[in-house]
Amino acid sequence: MKTVPQQRVPPRAIRAWQWSAALGNSTLFLIPLVWALVFGMDDPVHIRVILALSVVLFGFWLSGIFLFPFLKWKRWRYNIDRHEIDLQRGVLIHQRTLIPLSRVQHVDTRQGPLLRWYTLASVTISTAATTHEIPALDEVVAEKVRDTISTYARLAEEDV
Amino acid sequence: MSEFRRQHPVAAITRAVDLIRDNFITILILMVVGAGGSEGVAFIWWFTGLLFFLLTAGVADWWRFQYWADKEKLNIRQGVLVRKNLTLTRERIQVIDVTSGVVQRLFGLVSVEVQTAGSGSREAYLSAVTTEEAERLTALLRNGYRQLADEGTEAAVSPESRYPLPVRELLIAASTSGSFGIALSIIATLFSQVEPLLTETEIHEWFAAALPETDTLFFVSLIAVFVLFAWLLSFLGVLLSYGNFCLELRDDEMVITRGLLEKKRITVPFNRIQAVRVVEGVMRQPFGFANISVESAGFGDQKGSGSVVIHPLIRRSRVSSFLREVLPEYDGEPRTSKPPLRSLTRYMIRSTAVLAIAVGALWLLAGTGDWIWVLLLPGLAWGWLRHRDAEAGADERRLLLCGRVLARTTAIVLKNRVQDVTVSASLIQRYRNLMNLEVRVASGEQGRGFLVREMEPERARELLGWMAIDNPFLQTETEGT
Repeated sequence: MKTVPQQRVPPRAIRAWQWSAALGNSTLFLIPLVWALVFGMDDPVHIRVILALSVVLFGFWLSGIFLFPFLKWKRWRYNIDRHEIDLQRGVLIHQRTLIPLSRVQHVDTRQGPLLRWYTLASVTISTAATTHEIPALDEVVAEKVRDTISTYARLAEEDV
Repeated sequence: MSEFRRQHPVAAITRAVDLIRDNFITILILMVVGAGGSEGVAFIWWFTGLLFFLLTAGVADWWRFQYWADKEKLNIRQGVLVRKNLTLTRERIQVIDVTSGVVQRLFGLVSVEVQTAGSGSREAYLSAVTTEEAERLTALLRNGYRQLADEGTEAAVSPESRYPLPVRELLIAASTSGSFGIALSIIATLFSQVEPLLTETEIHEWFAAALPETDTLFFVSLIAVFVLFAWLLSFLGVLLSYGNFCLELRDDEMVITRGLLEKKRITVPFNRIQAVRVVEGVMRQPFGFANISVESAGFGDQKGSGSVVIHPLIRRSRVSSFLREVLPEYDGEPRTSKPPLRSLTRYMIRSTAVLAIAVGALWLLAGTGDWIWVLLLPGLAWGWLRHRDAEAGADERRLLLCGRVLARTTAIVLKNRVQDVTVSASLIQRYRNLMNLEVRVASGEQGRGFLVREMEPERARELLGWMAIDNPFLQTETEGT
């Protein structure tokens, strides 16, 4: 248990996360925009607020693209064996989760347009209490992981 | 045996009553809006129209609701416009809840709720069947045909396996119940709604006359009246729902009966219990009392939670022997460890932060005196208590997690009931070398997490590793059901 899990997420997941952060976080710029629309640009106080907000959000947006995807990739590791699924993740808050395979209720793979472009897929693991996700795996690997988990889960068959 | 049945026709009425209860606010608004200018005639029309509509809906619902059960499964067909077919297999049933509400009792009927894991089972609710039919269903779905045959001989339960709640303890439970705060907030909300009405009527004057003159005294006595009223409300609430409480042990299940007006009978199979929780409420802990509940993957006693109370009031010192008798698997004294002393500051900061901001703002902006910082003391004390009561540990079969939000809660989870274990450490925690541990079990729809904060990382990792089955001995322990 002392050792970290060995499996990693493919490096091109970083590209997918970068795009998703670039697109998803761009809605944040609505905040200064709405501020400008509501209060106008006449008052110097409001101009300062809008500028400050924009700078901060722009910094956040940039780090969401050029910093966090790399850290996230570096941190994300998983391992699946006959008995449990071991997930390690979290950039600011390090997390390590252990899911006994006998507790797994169902597994599915999901693929949005962005993940499909990079031939990636996410794997979602549900127990009776929680849902965990391996955010990006090669689609072939994802299928394999899904099948492995469901096979092991069947072997470890036990009710809620 | 396999033809579809309908419920007792009274189901039409109970359905209508359920509809009223579920949509009470909407109906109230409709009535008020409909009555509009408070003209008596319009109001009566609205009222009869609504009543007629509800009854029709109830009858239609009753007509379209059919079910049949055999030893394998329960089938239900229902829905007026949208037809739904529901099949519950016997092996998946978590909890069977037989309730006789006020309306049902008038006709000697009961309602039956069959709960499986997750939310789909909300539909498996028979709102009015005869008591015998409920017995038949329970026996069928719990034991299949075999035991049904010798139902007569099985009926007698030896007195050792019955745990009724004495009246004295019921009264203690009622007067120290935690629902007191909830009752208070309900009354406060109600009052804020009614208050503008009151000020315009004589009641206000009556109040003003009955209560002392000065403003401070007026408010103090008003609050006192509120608190007293809330306490009475929660007292009655507990009395009504936990009166006649009795826990009964069978071969492979426990049956809980309780309630004065609305009688409930909840069947929980032993092998469906996910965790045991011992809760020492704020008002109970000083007197050394606690209550015990079990978590089930069905949705349990109250909607959504998944908890079923198996002992409303017990001396803390008796908990262990009670568990040994009732749920021997859950009795044990695992070696536990507490968060280290250096984490105390983090506990205190967390419990005081919001309060400190509020007090700081008041101090800065409202210019209150320095005395206001005294208000932080309860927050600090709360943090200290939370730190003192946090602990976690395990032996080879079970996990013990202790913590406090307001009430002190001790959770006992069997290893083969743990859904997942997570350790986590934020930036600051890594710097301070501390780690959180969270264990989740199935309970209700969402599951329930037991979180112990700021542990020594070695201990948290040890408990994470404890879950890993790299030990063949432990592997053979996971017995199938």
